Amino acid sequence: MAVLPMKRISIYGLKKDRKQILELVQRMGAIEVKSEKLPKDKESVFTQMDTSQAKSTFETSIRNLTNAVEILDSVVKPSGGLLASLNGKDAISVDDYYETAKDAVNVTKTAARINALKKSIDDNKADIIRHQTAIEALKPWVALDISMRVKGTASTSVFIGTLPDDYTEEKLKGELAKALPDVNAVDCEVISHSTQQSCIFVICHAKFGEKVEAALRNMGLSYPAQPSKQSPSERIKILEGKIRKCEEKIAKDTKEIEALAPERQKLLYSIDYFTMRTDKYEVLGGLWQSAHVFIITGYIPAEDSERIKAGLESKFNCFAELDDVSEKDTPPVKLKNNKFSAPVESVIESYSLPGKGEMDPTSITSIFYYVLFGMMLSDAAYGLIMFLGCAFILLKFKNLEEGMKKFLTMFFYCGISTTFWGFMFGSFFGDAIDVVAKTFFHYSGPQLTPCLWFAPMEKPMQLLMFSFLLGIIHLFAGLACSAYQSIRAKKYLDAVYDVLLWYLLIGGLLLLLLAMPMFAEMTQLSFTLPSVFAKIGGIMAGIGAVGIVLTGGRESKSPVKRLLKGLYALYGVSSWLSDILSYSRLLALGLATGVIAQVFNQMGSMLGGNVVGAIVFILVFLIGQTLNIGINALGAYVHCNRLQFVEFFGKFYSGGGEKFSPFEARTKYFKIKD
Amino acid sequence: MVANAFGMGLALLGAALAALMGGIGSAIGVGDAGKAAAGVVTEDPSMFGKVLILQLLPGTQGIYGLLIAFLTLTKIGVLGGSAPDLATGFAIFVACLPMAFVGLWSAKMQSKAAVASIGLVAKRPDQFGKSMIFPAMVETYAVLALLVSLLAVMSI
Repeated sequence: MAVLPMKRISIYGLKKDRKQILELVQRMGAIEVKSEKLPKDKESVFTQMDTSQAKSTFETSIRNLTNAVEILDSVVKPSGGLLASLNGKDAISVDDYYETAKDAVNVTKTAARINALKKSIDDNKADIIRHQTAIEALKPWVALDISMRVKGTASTSVFIGTLPDDYTEEKLKGELAKALPDVNAVDCEVISHSTQQSCIFVICHAKFGEKVEAALRNMGLSYPAQPSKQSPSERIKILEGKIRKCEEKIAKDTKEIEALAPERQKLLYSIDYFTMRTDKYEVLGGLWQSAHVFIITGYIPAEDSERIKAGLESKFNCFAELDDVSEKDTPPVKLKNNKFSAPVESVIESYSLPGKGEMDPTSITSIFYYVLFGMMLSDAAYGLIMFLGCAFILLKFKNLEEGMKKFLTMFFYCGISTTFWGFMFGSFFGDAIDVVAKTFFHYSGPQLTPCLWFAPMEKPMQLLMFSFLLGIIHLFAGLACSAYQSIRAKKYLDAVYDVLLWYLLIGGLLLLLLAMPMFAEMTQLSFTLPSVFAKIGGIMAGIGAVGIVLTGGRESKSPVKRLLKGLYALYGVSSWLSDILSYSRLLALGLATGVIAQVFNQMGSMLGGNVVGAIVFILVFLIGQTLNIGINALGAYVHCNRLQFVEFFGKFYSGGGEKFSPFEARTKYFKIKD
Repeated sequence: MVANAFGMGLALLGAALAALMGGIGSAIGVGDAGKAAAGVVTEDPSMFGKVLILQLLPGTQGIYGLLIAFLTLTKIGVLGGSAPDLATGFAIFVACLPMAFVGLWSAKMQSKAAVASIGLVAKRPDQFGKSMIFPAMVETYAVLALLVSLLAVMSI
């Protein structure tokens, strides 16, 4: 219902209890620690510890552990499917936690081993690729049965290399003969040839060596980059042996990782343990410490303060001091609401938490949120699906994350509201019931889908007027919140100037409109107020308008400026017009859901009432309705947020509060039960 | 009311334009936003859910266009109703125009806001609630156009 009042807490303890006290505070998770900087200019008995070294060590451990888990998961798929993420954290006892803490060093060794194994696997995989490339390069040389490094003997010179063209033995010999007409002791062999290169072996008498080499170079001879010591085929065999060895090593390493799979939970727990320690050291670094004493300062919700104080003082030889928050402080914000409204806290949070002196708008927002969302989706079947789906998950998975739980609860209530509006406006998968009855059972009679109020397709104007009415109520409620805030801050006149005058102006104008026959005709309203209301409305609006002109610029001293500002404030009436018109989206989105559903129903029923028609209908129905519920639920969510954030909050709320983030165990995988 | 081929043609043209331009706008919009979203997901796959919602925002105009087109078709004897005379056909054509034009432009403009919002969420995932509002602001005008076309087509 409200922003929780905060207290300042200071805990004075002995250094020998530091670790225990800090850990207890962390487990209780009720205090946001805010340590002030030590005054630099004065000599002080207090110092602050430098914990950055320790923190970075822990962070490295966390990184290594996270890596190890990722590796483990890539080798052994973790059990559990899509819904496994809904299971939440494991609850463990304090003793189990200390067990984890003791184990953590060993577990980091396991993680290091896994990381090392992974590195070895990666290295071996790279080696395999290297060997395979080498084999590919050797393949054209397979026919050569001597080492590729042979340069010749005492009396012969040998050239083993490639030419950048397609040579047959005949062509090569011909070219050589042409280039070296006076050299006769040359023999050559083409080992392999393709369109781009030819691998050749040339042997000649040692005395012609230089000449032959020059000729071959002219033809573009190049020596192999990695000539093998053995003959190519032997070399390939060796390389294949190496590949086999690498593969064996990979298989062995993978097996070792697989064998470590049961350690997964311990790895995850250790991640949490190190996260907790990192947070603890973060806090520790800010604490004021003397030779024997340390001080923790921070904020605590007033309702928890006595309990926590008593808890700490009974367990340790320490003293906890509670102070009221002073004017200068900006305490962090924590909201507390009943079960019905609390889910909408996340919506408030995604806008901004209440700033200093602002009220918690959650409860009033929640009512409008559910109503407006329901009107925009407004299909009973979609509502039932949402409501039942959320209820199922909420009941099945008791251990849900807090945020997830709130999110689902919000859509649970939105689902109820959607169902309600769906029945009011006679939409159940659009007009599916009637289409099925007509197409497959040849029913002809009154509409089967229950429609408790009226069908928007037939009376869109009526729904538009109703949307505006809801909008006006929503906006007036926003103004009422503004008045409440002014009164709470004891600025009674502000409540009159900023709220009452606007009520008079807008209310008066509305009365005036409703008493005009032309307006009733235009909007197809079934009634017109008697003309006396026009008079009353006119007077109200007049008082409001004059009042706004006179008070709108009350901060300014100069009368001219004040008048001008007042006139500008009156111009704000145009923003009221656009704010109210903005609620026409309730009609547009509500109609969109119904009409799109009808489109799919009609498309499905086009093939008539036979068996093929039934199959087609079911297919089109399933795909179409799924698409429709998705796109329209998204639309309803977005536009519902917009109506709250822009139109409603615009009247009274600006936010700017900082979220209460207590020093707690921010774990992902376990939670400690005291 | 004398059925008139030209009237029918005009009404059909209106329906086609609403579906066409809304669809084109949304295709461009969702495409642009999708490129930005894919970029974010390469860096951080866990952002998929959030950026997908932002990508989908400019997609509604196509659906609104379809809605108007369908409503028109049920009126003029293609999927029900009766063929219009020249004046009615022309009236229906004009009634479809707001959705057609505003659908195209708002989807294109909305995609720009959506791309910027995707950038915002990439840097500050906690600001998702606000990031959704900027594209939704543009959508307001598509909703208003839908409303005008809807009311006009239904009451002709």
